[in-house]
Amino acid sequence: MRENPDRKGISTAAAAALAVVLLIVGVAAGYFAGSATVTPQTTTLTQTVARTITTTQTVSAAQTVTQTVTQTATATATTTVTQPVTQTVTATRTTTVTTTAAAPGGLPEKVKIGVLLPLSGELGSIGVRMLYGAHIAAKIVNDSGGIGGRPVQIIAEDTAAVPDKALDAVKKLVEVQGVQVIVGPATSVEAATIAKYLNDRKVPAISMSATAAALSNLAKQYGDTYFWRVVGSDTIQARALADIMKEKGFKRIVTFVVSNDYGIGMEQMLLAQPGMRDRVVLTIRYDPTKGDYRTELEQVRAANPDVIFYALWVESGKIVFRQALDLGLDKIPTMGGEGMADEAFFADPRAAEYMVKTGLFGTRPTYDPKTYSYQIFYNMHKRLYGDESSLFADYTYDATMVAILAVGHAGVYDGAKIKNALALTGQYYIGATGMKAMDPSTGDLLSQDYLIWRVELKDGKPTYNFNYGFWSLGTGVVWK
Amino acid sequence: MVDGLSLNIAQILFNSLLTGSLYVLAAIGLTLTYGILKFPNVAHAEFITFGAYIAYTVADIWKLGFEAGVLAAFVATGLLGVASHLFLFGPLIRKGASILHLTVASVGYGIVLRYAMQEIWGRKDLYYSAYYPGFDLGPIRVTPLWLSFIFLAVAIVAVFHLLLTKTKIGKAMRATSNNPSLAQASGIDTRKIILLVWFFGSALAGLGGVMKASDTRITPVLGWDILIMSFAAVIFGGVGSIYGTIFAGYILGFVENLGVIGLVALKLSTEYRFLLGFLVLVFALIFAPQGIAGITFKSIRRRLSSSG
Repeated sequence: MRENPDRKGISTAAAAALAVVLLIVGVAAGYFAGSATVTPQTTTLTQTVARTITTTQTVSAAQTVTQTVTQTATATATTTVTQPVTQTVTATRTTTVTTTAAAPGGLPEKVKIGVLLPLSGELGSIGVRMLYGAHIAAKIVNDSGGIGGRPVQIIAEDTAAVPDKALDAVKKLVEVQGVQVIVGPATSVEAATIAKYLNDRKVPAISMSATAAALSNLAKQYGDTYFWRVVGSDTIQARALADIMKEKGFKRIVTFVVSNDYGIGMEQMLLAQPGMRDRVVLTIRYDPTKGDYRTELEQVRAANPDVIFYALWVESGKIVFRQALDLGLDKIPTMGGEGMADEAFFADPRAAEYMVKTGLFGTRPTYDPKTYSYQIFYNMHKRLYGDESSLFADYTYDATMVAILAVGHAGVYDGAKIKNALALTGQYYIGATGMKAMDPSTGDLLSQDYLIWRVELKDGKPTYNFNYGFWSLGTGVVWK
Repeated sequence: MVDGLSLNIAQILFNSLLTGSLYVLAAIGLTLTYGILKFPNVAHAEFITFGAYIAYTVADIWKLGFEAGVLAAFVATGLLGVASHLFLFGPLIRKGASILHLTVASVGYGIVLRYAMQEIWGRKDLYYSAYYPGFDLGPIRVTPLWLSFIFLAVAIVAVFHLLLTKTKIGKAMRATSNNPSLAQASGIDTRKIILLVWFFGSALAGLGGVMKASDTRITPVLGWDILIMSFAAVIFGGVGSIYGTIFAGYILGFVENLGVIGLVALKLSTEYRFLLGFLVLVFALIFAPQGIAGITFKSIRRRLSSSG
């Protein structure tokens, strides 16, 4: 475990006294605990398995006080405060533990929750409204007394959805503000850029909207899980899409994707689904800067597909659609993932015409808003910001809630401990957007529901019908 | 399994002709100004964009029809080129600016133009409302727009050929390009010729802009998408040589489209298509440093024998 010299807890004198008095006990406890505390990341999602959660509390630059909390199934708890060589605390529990009830002594005067969002730039208008979600979560928690009496403070930094700026922003949060848990960032490229830094500084981040499948590998790549998300990875979405394709009976599928992490990720995820390799007859990765896709589309026609699966960027995507219409590909049905449900495509009337003619349909993450937990969020949103909830403000709210609850659960304001608490916290938190159980080995949400949308003509105008169908792990494909 | 690799040769050739026509239109102006003034005008990219916006203004804001828009783009961009020479490059040359000065000035001028256009027409993509649905012409899928642009490019090339070889002005242009002082000494009004070159070179760029925009969309960076390949065509064709540039434009268009097919078959991103175009360029220049215009049978044999 690492020391964090700039953190303050109990006063130095008290701690020193405590340390001296309990030195002998510590040595003894350390002897017994030592072997059990070598691997702090053995958190699993099975309730009955005993879990080991470690916490370290630095008192001064030189001294460290550690607690050993052991809770057994019979609910007998032994507490030992000590200073062993390993500087570790273990909390072994076999009963279910939900949230807080931690000693407030371990928390600072104000619990800072860092938020990384695009508050300017192209996604700025959305980002500003996403931030409402974070403030709503803080408001709800603070209204009921904060975390063990300590109020939550939201500290937002603007990333403009630019990876370099995101890295600057996260450094500012951690190094200047001393933030130990972060909500965000919003986009997958930003997440990939700051992941190494998060791991190096042991500060967990919980994204509300980064869905790229490749982000599941960050934990393996950097050795530990410091990137989490409360929105489903595209891996689940690919499963939904593959299910839909099979249900529709498509046997000659062409994938047409933008050549970047988003597009290639979608293509690879789709191909990884069982039985899809035989059905996908052609894969095309196009250059978004080329601005002319006739030859690519000609290859699509030559493959004689019964569906084209698109993962495009809006700017180049509009050109692809326009040229597909020109080339007479408007008889082949089309599908897409979440990114294709974007009204910006309609800016080009030719592109819109193609989407309507081919009946473009696809998936998008969804949840049931008719739940009590959604109402809590919704009512506060209505009170503070009006009743029109904005895109992803709900997921931002949940990401913030999970962060707050994890701090409470950890009982100390320390990134590594908060990270260890995340999996369990998520498992027992049902938020506005559904259950937030996350896999501690990848940081991924375990389940995600998807609605099926379709581009249709409504009053002569192209629109997205978001009520075309539904998919979840439990129900499979349901048409409406 | 790749059973998508069934080739429609006719369509590929047609697509190449379309891509090539665009490069030719954009590159002729570049090579003309280079031939006479001996500097690469980077602001040429913005001339391309300018043409697209002018056509939009005339066709879709003033609602005078797409054809009027094309014509207006031709004339207005030509005049922009003339104005650029009169007020910027001409005075610079008279003050003794070097190639480097002129090139840097053209970069700066291009940026001014781009942001001015962004200010006037906005940053959002624009589209021409004119639309002509495509149809099948034998094995080839065409749209009237594509056909007319190929026709336009080929016609312009033909007219240019006649202009250069048969008319006095054309001969004067070639003379000025070859040796400005000598041309002046033999009684040619080189100032007039230079302005004429600016007009036609820029007007063709404007036309290329309309062509690209009608096929895709109008954005302030439209010209930049084409500029690199246009420069490649200019260098490949032999800087300053009009015929070489025309030939190179179509060759590059063809290689690019062929490259896309190869890349798709190899399951690679079509982003690498530039690589193929430039690979052709590099190899061509190793054997013919003067570009296509410098290629003669003798020069190839000499190079081959000298390199062992």
